[in-house]
Amino acid sequence: MSLIERRRGRTLLDDRRVQAAGALLVAALATVPFVMNFYVTELLFTGLVFVILGVSWNLLAGYAGQISLGHAAFFGMGAFVSAWLTTPTGADLPESIQLPVLLAVLVGGLVAALISLVVGPIMFRLRGHYFAIGTLALAAIIQLVMQDQREYTGGATGYFVDSDPVEELVPPLTAEATVYLVTLAVAVLTVLVTYRIVESPTGLGMKAIHDDEDAASGLGVDPLKYKMYAFVVSSFFAGIAGALYAQYTLYINPGSTLDIVWTIDTLVIVILGGMGTVAGPLLGAGLFLGLDNLLSSVVGELSTAVEGALIVLFIVFLPSGVYGLIDDYLVSDAEPRSDDERATAKRSSDATDDG
Amino acid sequence: MASSELVAQTLVNGLLLGGIYAVAALGLSLVFGIMDIVNLAHGHMLMVGGYVAIILFAATGITPLVGMLLAMVLLFVLGVVLQKVLLQHVVDEGLEQPIIVLFGLALVLQNVGRVLLGGDARSSDIGVPGSGLDLGMVYLSFPRTVTFVIAVLLIVGTWAYLQYTKTGQAIRATAQNRTAARYMGIDTERIYVITLGIGTALAGAAGSLLSMLYPIDPFVGWSYLLKAFAVVVLGGVGSILGTLVGGLVIGVSENLGALYLGGGYRNIVSFSIFLAVLLIKPEGLFGGSQ
Repeated sequence: MSLIERRRGRTLLDDRRVQAAGALLVAALATVPFVMNFYVTELLFTGLVFVILGVSWNLLAGYAGQISLGHAAFFGMGAFVSAWLTTPTGADLPESIQLPVLLAVLVGGLVAALISLVVGPIMFRLRGHYFAIGTLALAAIIQLVMQDQREYTGGATGYFVDSDPVEELVPPLTAEATVYLVTLAVAVLTVLVTYRIVESPTGLGMKAIHDDEDAASGLGVDPLKYKMYAFVVSSFFAGIAGALYAQYTLYINPGSTLDIVWTIDTLVIVILGGMGTVAGPLLGAGLFLGLDNLLSSVVGELSTAVEGALIVLFIVFLPSGVYGLIDDYLVSDAEPRSDDERATAKRSSDATDDG
Repeated sequence: MASSELVAQTLVNGLLLGGIYAVAALGLSLVFGIMDIVNLAHGHMLMVGGYVAIILFAATGITPLVGMLLAMVLLFVLGVVLQKVLLQHVVDEGLEQPIIVLFGLALVLQNVGRVLLGGDARSSDIGVPGSGLDLGMVYLSFPRTVTFVIAVLLIVGTWAYLQYTKTGQAIRATAQNRTAARYMGIDTERIYVITLGIGTALAGAAGSLLSMLYPIDPFVGWSYLLKAFAVVVLGGVGSILGTLVGGLVIGVSENLGALYLGGGYRNIVSFSIFLAVLLIKPEGLFGGSQ
């Protein structure tokens, strides 16, 4: 007997109980900055950033099958663009370009999307391994160039984002709480948008490319179109995540904000949770947050090594991640719909015909 | 403008460095050509090889030229174990799994390296007496010349192994057609194990050689991976001569880049060449059609 009954072909997110639990969770998360201390708020903020990063990378890698190792570049560029726009004086930019925080965050995401729009058609001339390593090289170049441009990025000193918000804030909203709430909203939006995409015909196109690009292409699916779709949406959200990160922490540094460590964390989250599933990255982000804190207290400095080992073991022995485990053992959809159910469905459709 | 002597010296140093890059790239190229796997941990294995030579030299004063042999043995074993324990589950299973497994391994090596050895850069010294050659216009420094000669020997040795030994021929047959090789009675599982062993041993050799010229820290893995891969695409997968030439080209161009644009551009130059070649001529300059 399964815990959650589910019809074939439907995902957990369609289940009313899951939806209700999700809504409750979001509501609970929304109260955090007002009832919890600074430490907990920051921890959960990081978790939300990871959700956005994981869900967006999963769209590109898990669904469209394009293993990008350059996610950090879009995250970091979003962060820097938003920092330039809220604190233009830090980079000797004209003060006239200063924007309110929320608008700056949006522009950060848009610029990240724009970068992916420009480099996408070039990078997608590469397939498979070449694409993975090409994106790794691209991200490395972007980081090196940004580190070299000291006047715009602060170089090794980093870039301080002005903490005076342009907007008037209504108490008890602080600048931090505002950014936290926006991040929560964006995380929810990222999940919903990704869910809509993967359940739509576009999502089918992506999965077709993922499974067999040549066959899909032969059947009239334009691989470039779907890859670009996934890449641009994915980069947009990564850019937004970076921008929010910059506005929350108020300090960014080309050495760390553009660093491959963001790509690594994203991969760990998605793989622990389950690649190519909507709920996977959500579970993964929660798991990662707990794991990261647990590991740093148990194994200390070796936590990255343990995470690396975990993704190796997961991908070799449990490629569908924790979500896969839950799906296998808790949610049974192996059996076809029972006759009872079919009869009920028929009755109700008959009833509709009569009425 | 830099003087012509400085330019000539930069060119020569670049060529000598390029030989080592070619060794690193050859290991990557073998594994890619035969197993269709990009070893994302290749740069980190190079780092491990470098540290083996550095630690041995620091502890006992044994020259890294000997340390290199130890590094090669250790990394050969690492490669064999890696293939037998992990990779054989995912090889031929599509792209994602091997990429992620090796990515995870790179993380483990980098993190363990940092914890065990600290984040500081360290280097070794050639540790044997000898003097460089002054050719008037340019000076061939002793360690650079010796490491270059060893690099070329390693490349020629690998070529001869593939060309003339029974196992080498079996490796080449597997590269040409995996299925046909299997029908001919070649144990391709074993070939994979040997190939990964040789590939990682070459990474270890390159690391030991590099440790005599440049400091190594636990974070150098990614940049050497990208450089080695740049050489592979430049030379074409599976072409040994192409790999050597590609290594020299990358060595020279990044040294020239550092001379004209500043030290910060060393890596930007080689990564950019890599992306450019990948996009313009993905089959490499020596277009091996593997």
